[in-house]
Amino acid sequence: MQHFALTIIGRDRPGIVSQVTEILYRTGCNIADSSCSILGGQFAMILIIAHSEIADRDGFCGAFLPLEETGLSVFLRTLKPGGEKHPHMEGEICLISVYGSDKPGIVYRVSRELGERQVNITDLNTKLIGTEQRPVYVMMLEAVLPPTMEIDEISRIMNNLKNELQVDISVRSITPVEL
Amino acid sequence: MAVRPIRVYPDPILKQPCAVIDHCDASADALLQDLIDTMLDSGHSVGVAAPQIGDSRRAVVVDVSKSKLGRDNNHGLLTMINPQIIDREGTHTMREGCMSVPDYTGNVERAQSVVVQFTDRDGCERVIRTTGFEAVAIQHELDHLDGLLFLDRVSSLKSDVFRRKG
Repeated sequence: MQHFALTIIGRDRPGIVSQVTEILYRTGCNIADSSCSILGGQFAMILIIAHSEIADRDGFCGAFLPLEETGLSVFLRTLKPGGEKHPHMEGEICLISVYGSDKPGIVYRVSRELGERQVNITDLNTKLIGTEQRPVYVMMLEAVLPPTMEIDEISRIMNNLKNELQVDISVRSITPVEL
Repeated sequence: MAVRPIRVYPDPILKQPCAVIDHCDASADALLQDLIDTMLDSGHSVGVAAPQIGDSRRAVVVDVSKSKLGRDNNHGLLTMINPQIIDREGTHTMREGCMSVPDYTGNVERAQSVVVQFTDRDGCERVIRTTGFEAVAIQHELDHLDGLLFLDRVSSLKSDVFRRKG
């Protein structure tokens, strides 16, 4: 099976998901993994799809053109073998929430501290809330720590950032429990 | 005594409500032993319910005493026949996984503290109050007896590959 990453984005309206999935169904694609959400006024779809016969982008022969014609932007990426597989990650999983008055660089400063320590961000959402006069920035991220790192260490690092950025940050373990 | 294979969804037995056990006889005792053997054999499990090993009777075993989260607050090995939650208090969200639904986890809100009534392996009626991780584990296992999986209770899903930890 050849896998592809398909991203579609456009002004939100009812019917986008059915329009996209009808094309996938009729072309014989499987949806292996997907995440779709509304961001601002845009609906964004990210899907890993698979096809048993189509091997490259040209194989779709313009199947997605009708989407473009209704104002959606479509991007298709051909994955290398194994690119559809979730990597095995060993360490603790934590949820870091950051919120405070809006200022430039919140996402960058937090993610830089994590990236420098090989902490792998697996999910990230940000939102601007509050009023126009007093905007509040909220960021929630999930990250996998390197196997040797404890949650306490990342809490300490985030605590230092709290003062520098003048925001509130909390870190908690969300490592799944198997029952 | 025997380690039995864990049934994995979509095995229909996982969605069936289980039958009440009328007599704590040798057959019920053998079921409890199989549940214990299967739980210990998996190495990382803190509980197994009868339908997970292919038996539609109301029995579960739970032991969180060897896990990091439950080690300081537990009742040791609990063998429960016809368990019933008779009181619940507070809420607590954990990301749960299940041996019967591999490679998937989800955030589930459970009661923080529960009072459970059950018959133990010796046939004694018991009532315990439990909190924290043990309470979550008991609620998860008891759901299996009603044909419910954590997928019936999740608020969000995450794919995850379980780490085999002690």
